[in-house]
Amino acid sequence: MDVTPEVRQELTEWLYHEAELLDGRRFEEWLALLADDLTYEMPVRLTREAGGGEEVAREMAFFRDDRETLRLRVARLRTEFAWAEDPPSRTRHFVANVRVRPTDRPDEVEVRSYLLVYRSRGDAPQAELLSGERRDRFRRVGGTWKLCRREFVPDQATLGLRNLALFI
Amino acid sequence: MAVTAVPLSAGLRQRLSAIRPEEGVIPAFIFSDPEVYRAEMDTIFARCWLFVAHESEVPAPGDYVTRAMGEHPVIVARGEDGRIRVMLNVCRHRGMRICRADLGNASHFRCPYHGFTYTNTGDLIGIPYQREIYGEAIDRSRFGLIQARTDSYAGLVFATWDADAPPLREYLGPMTWYLDLLAGRAAMEVVGPPHRHEMAANWKLPAENFASDAYHTLHTHASTAEIGLTPSPRWAKDGYHVQAGNGHGVMVGTPAPRFIFAEALLPTFARHLRPEQLALLRTLANMPGTVFPNFSFLISAVSFKGRFVSHTGLYQWQPLGPERIEVFSWFLVERDAPPEWKALSREAFIFTFGPSGVFSQDDSENWTNITRNSRGPLARHLSFLYEMGKGARPTRAFPGPGEVYEGKYSEVNARAFYRRWLDLVQGDGPWT
Repeated sequence: MDVTPEVRQELTEWLYHEAELLDGRRFEEWLALLADDLTYEMPVRLTREAGGGEEVAREMAFFRDDRETLRLRVARLRTEFAWAEDPPSRTRHFVANVRVRPTDRPDEVEVRSYLLVYRSRGDAPQAELLSGERRDRFRRVGGTWKLCRREFVPDQATLGLRNLALFI
Repeated sequence: MAVTAVPLSAGLRQRLSAIRPEEGVIPAFIFSDPEVYRAEMDTIFARCWLFVAHESEVPAPGDYVTRAMGEHPVIVARGEDGRIRVMLNVCRHRGMRICRADLGNASHFRCPYHGFTYTNTGDLIGIPYQREIYGEAIDRSRFGLIQARTDSYAGLVFATWDADAPPLREYLGPMTWYLDLLAGRAAMEVVGPPHRHEMAANWKLPAENFASDAYHTLHTHASTAEIGLTPSPRWAKDGYHVQAGNGHGVMVGTPAPRFIFAEALLPTFARHLRPEQLALLRTLANMPGTVFPNFSFLISAVSFKGRFVSHTGLYQWQPLGPERIEVFSWFLVERDAPPEWKALSREAFIFTFGPSGVFSQDDSENWTNITRNSRGPLARHLSFLYEMGKGARPTRAFPGPGEVYEGKYSEVNARAFYRRWLDLVQGDGPWT
């Protein structure tokens, strides 16, 4: 697919819309944006010597989900026993540096972006921060874009969050 | 390396006198008191055997990972001789961290500051301009990396700074029987690097939780029943508490509705385990535990993706101050499990007990809030309630060693954990 300015604009808006849904805890609406065959992963980041090997370990992951397990995570958050997010945190998903590239498939594009998640919890003024790069793949389905692959590569080898009761 | 403990202040001694583990009286202050923390570093983390790695993380000569023993950074490296050594990651010249990567393979480590060079067995082999600047006066053999005593059990590598500590097997005592089930039931391997994240919690809270607290699953983890991972909120009620000595505790959940491991590995389990261990493994539902002080583990089984599957996790609660820990979590699996079972087990581990796990998420909320609530003058006398199962008598109707109590909703293991903890902090002869 040609990456026209319109395509670029649509996908950038898609990511902003997604951030609005996630930060607004409108998770069910978010799930509707995901392709049925979605893979959703967050590998482990490593500190390696320069030239000393792969810094991203994919054998282990913080998330290795699909649409069904994401639906389960959302269903859990809606129970009366999801203490990690009850009371809820306040989050901001900041999306930047969006780059859209063609793929070898006519109906799919690759979108890379930077993500900074700011999480404020309880009365603690210090935020929990999570930054990294999203490596997404989108598919054109009936005039809309569906997310069909997401890999979020974190920048931290040791995460500064008490838990990952959030979506990336 | 000998460590001299700083004598406890009169104030701390007085605060500690409020603790009566056998009566279930555990005051809140121990979860945030800076003086308690300093004493723990001296009397527990400088003396006990501490978990540092699984052997499969350093399979080949030259492989290393960097870890911590208490607050001290260490290199865990396998030498050309095949031996795993644990060495203080501190240059003997000026204290620079000589290895700053999480893992790798190296025959030697060169300090960035002045170029002192050590072999992966810890020998100092190079000092730039040594002859010119030190002459013959320096004996390099005196300045090798500080070595910890190192040993392993069932592939689990432990190390201690204390030359007087008993041998690892003796330190683990009856716990070895349960570590066989955990990590010796087959050839096991850790998959990938550990998850690592930090939280504002005292290290004892998760250690105690894994050793003793099945009761919290009923309420903290009730959401897992609502979404069908577990059959009901009370799924973790049946089984046993086992006090394995030296503060170690394990909870054996049994019976299980179905066999929770890979069926294809039954012959392998039979080869690795004694008949009575195998019999227990066949009916095992779950098994959390803690090797004192800060190494925990969990075998857990859930319904996941239309299947019933178990996973085995290793956990370490690294102290970073009285109110902070770094959590390490490793996925451990039978090396020869069917690939499809292995993949499903790994996904179940990530979904339930890593930092994004739908069980562990809620645990972190508890531990961080309790830690915060343990500050202030009231905390010196505000005792928490550790009386569950008080007066219970040990049972003999169990195949494993240790002092065994029926029922997993109990706090007998927590009381034993804090008894041992208190003895060590007070310096009442750790190895008598």
